[in-house]
Amino acid sequence: MDAWLRPTSLADALAALAAGPRVILAGGTDLYPSHVARPLPGPILDITALPDLRRIEAHPGYWRIPCLATWSDVIGADLPALFDGLRAAARQVGGVQVQNAGTVIGNLCNASPAADGIPNLLALDATVELASRAGTRHLGVADFVQGNRRTARRPDELAVALRIPRPAGPALGVFEKLGARRYLVISITMVAVVAEFDPAGRIRRARVAVGACGPRALRLPGLEAALAGRRPEPDLVTPDLAPLAPIDDVRASAGYRLQATEELLRRALGALGTSRARAA
Amino acid sequence: MPQVTLTVNGKRHTVAVEGRTLLVEVLREKLGLTGTHIGCDTSQCGACVVHVNGDSVKSCTMLALQAEGAEVTTIEGLAKPDGTLHPMQEMFREHHALQCGYCTPGMVMSAIDLVAKHPEGLTEREIREGLDGNLCRCTGYHNIVKAVAAAWPLMHQKAMPQAAE
Repeated sequence: MDAWLRPTSLADALAALAAGPRVILAGGTDLYPSHVARPLPGPILDITALPDLRRIEAHPGYWRIPCLATWSDVIGADLPALFDGLRAAARQVGGVQVQNAGTVIGNLCNASPAADGIPNLLALDATVELASRAGTRHLGVADFVQGNRRTARRPDELAVALRIPRPAGPALGVFEKLGARRYLVISITMVAVVAEFDPAGRIRRARVAVGACGPRALRLPGLEAALAGRRPEPDLVTPDLAPLAPIDDVRASAGYRLQATEELLRRALGALGTSRARAA
Repeated sequence: MPQVTLTVNGKRHTVAVEGRTLLVEVLREKLGLTGTHIGCDTSQCGACVVHVNGDSVKSCTMLALQAEGAEVTTIEGLAKPDGTLHPMQEMFREHHALQCGYCTPGMVMSAIDLVAKHPEGLTEREIREGLDGNLCRCTGYHNIVKAVAAAWPLMHQKAMPQAAE
């Protein structure tokens, strides 16, 4: 098996994956730093030469973020306020150069518990389009990310795009992240919220996701239910953080993570209220 | 061993590399372009920033084989053949935007990309945020920010509409 393949068509890429498992490489911003001075983790499938998989596109019922769309592409794309949280995350991933190289889908497939993209994708209700020679299937991000660096992608599949459904009415996204410093930092905890509003400015439906507080990012259904029908305010609710299971590590203790998460949730709801007032 | 063909500073090269060879290793070790520095080796410090197809990237994170067919510009490719410096280099000199100089090549490459991509102008805050992927342990950044603001009118050949405060 060739140690390195760089196909120029999706069909060739899927044929290569059908022949045997490979490490899929896009921006490379996660792969290399985790293998400094060590051999690569296996035969590589470099997908950066695949055509037509970079542009973020609006379709009638959804937006499509293909697998070569970088964080810089998210920042530069003409996307509505629904994407404000994902855009904020894009601006905080690494620095500009990492944003130029790293892809949103790479962040998802790498499935780090501290991936800044994943809580936003959960809040956006995104689905993953998985292509293989056997056909295409769509999985919700919550089903796709199974644990710490584990996903539901089969070895013969390529995650070719994300789909973000168009909400029925006006919707806003926010993202709050806590790190030990402002830039170039791995999150201690983070919160993403997407809320759809009714004409009176009350939350019709909210999706709230927390990252870096367990092996994978999770939604908080209790808090989401409590928010429905209300106006977003910082002190609206005492969030039920029971689903979260943070660990003690070099970056923070579990207790600190939970405390900080509560604060970030308050800030996120406050920010949601502020940007809702601005939009109205 | 696989080969990669890339254009560096306008010159085409074909180089034999291993799969794990980094772009920065090709530039420094195979092509002798040692102006691109390696600092942290983990994509944090920005000493290794070069331009690939017009975007600034960290060459210590990019595997060389991914640069197949790419146009790469390094710090050595900025000055004209007669030695005239790029306006950003000139302003770094003018404003003494360096002390030890280790971060300078990456800082200059990031700064050029930042200014080129903001034809609407840059505030001081935007310059500082735009350089957040480049660490400098000497200057405290103050003169770097001044140099970047001063290079903007030279690169765009007009006064900056939104003056850096």
